[in-house]
Amino acid sequence: MRTISILLILPVFLVCAGLLHAAETVRVITKENAVRQQCKFYSPVRAKVRYNDPLTVLSRSGDWYKVSFRGVSGCIHKSALASGTYRLSGTLGGRGGGASADEVSLAGKGFNPQVEAAYKGRNPGLGYRSVDEIERYQAPDETFQAFLGKGGLTTP
Amino acid sequence: MKVNTCMPLAAAALCILAGCNLAGLSGALPSGLNSEHVTLAAKSARAVSVASRPISDSEEYYVGRAVAARILATYPLLRNSRLTEYVNLVGRTVALNSEKPNTYGGYHFAVLDSSEINAFACPGGTILITKGMVRAVRTEDELAAVLAHEVAHINHRDGIDAISKSRWTEALTIIGTETAKTYGSSDVARLTGIFEGSIDDVFKTLVVNGYGRGQEEDADRTSLGYLARAGYDPKALESFLSRLSVTGRGSSGGMMKTHPATSDRLENVRSSMPGSAADPVMEKARSARFAESTSF
Ligand SMILES: [Zn+2]
Repeated sequence: MRTISILLILPVFLVCAGLLHAAETVRVITKENAVRQQCKFYSPVRAKVRYNDPLTVLSRSGDWYKVSFRGVSGCIHKSALASGTYRLSGTLGGRGGGASADEVSLAGKGFNPQVEAAYKGRNPGLGYRSVDEIERYQAPDETFQAFLGKGGLTTP
Repeated sequence: MKVNTCMPLAAAALCILAGCNLAGLSGALPSGLNSEHVTLAAKSARAVSVASRPISDSEEYYVGRAVAARILATYPLLRNSRLTEYVNLVGRTVALNSEKPNTYGGYHFAVLDSSEINAFACPGGTILITKGMVRAVRTEDELAAVLAHEVAHINHRDGIDAISKSRWTEALTIIGTETAKTYGSSDVARLTGIFEGSIDDVFKTLVVNGYGRGQEEDADRTSLGYLARAGYDPKALESFLSRLSVTGRGSSGGMMKTHPATSDRLENVRSSMPGSAADPVMEKARSARFAESTSF
């Protein structure tokens, strides 16, 4: 019985291992993000992407993926992406970048906009308006790049 | 269990362990295994992991928004566009040099109109620092050090970890494992109650009791790496803490209340200091723009 089991499982395992390396599509797991011209956080934006957008992987270079999205190609950092693979546990919500596909399936569950709306209703005195104002603010990329240059600073 | 039922389960379980894409498997299955078997096995294997899952990135984001909303109900937002831009530029620089440069909702930095010396890392990426803190730091590198410490708390999920385990376990019994995204009114009421309690847990830790001593030491140590990678002088954290240990003596509010004794933090920071040295010419340029941006 054990031998038969191993014989039957082995091909499946090998197919799996093959598929792992052939993964071509990744999904965006942040609310918004950008595909950039070069693999640098301050590089010009070529395309804006949103949560769950599928990106085709062209190649990988360190912590960056070269991807194409709606005919535009460019770079995006791995911490904004979930690969199309399942991992049991350990990555979800753990330290460091990279997430499992579970992150995609979990969005919208649990503590979600519906719960936030109910919480707001119960606590009308909270500063959600200021929170929205803070989240909306974003210094332009050109300002950021000049800031780095003039201060002798760097980012990945 | 018969061979024909146990095999697909075992194969699928093995497959999941190998990290493969089960959805793409249907055409490549050996006889006796069909895609339905595999999907079912995958579903039950995932159900096990989902049932005890930690808070997801998007859930962390909603917790962080609520915590920030509570802080902002006490401390009003300071609306000074030059300062807001500056704090965001410094903060973004250190956050992009952290282990997690992207979070679900991104990093955001803002100044609170309070003379108390304090800073708060709301889960998910919103960092609030007081006007008092902006006045307490003397250079851009010191401001970066304070923000880097807060980014480290976010990366380490120290705020989220304050949520009581039993609360989250209860939430999971309502959330379940299926993909329903809209809950019925009684479920929403229960989930909202748990959410409210979770916000209390995080708020109390951030504002009243502080994180654990180990978490603070970790945040200090980790922040030194962010600073060095960004090109800031990690010694700025040491210089800030040294000054705070003198000027903060006798003061018990704000950060002094929620953080370990400054002398203990200093010892930990000194023993973990990286060897990198910052360019003094650039440091001078940064100090000049710091003076300009923080003259309010
Ligand atoms: Zn701290």
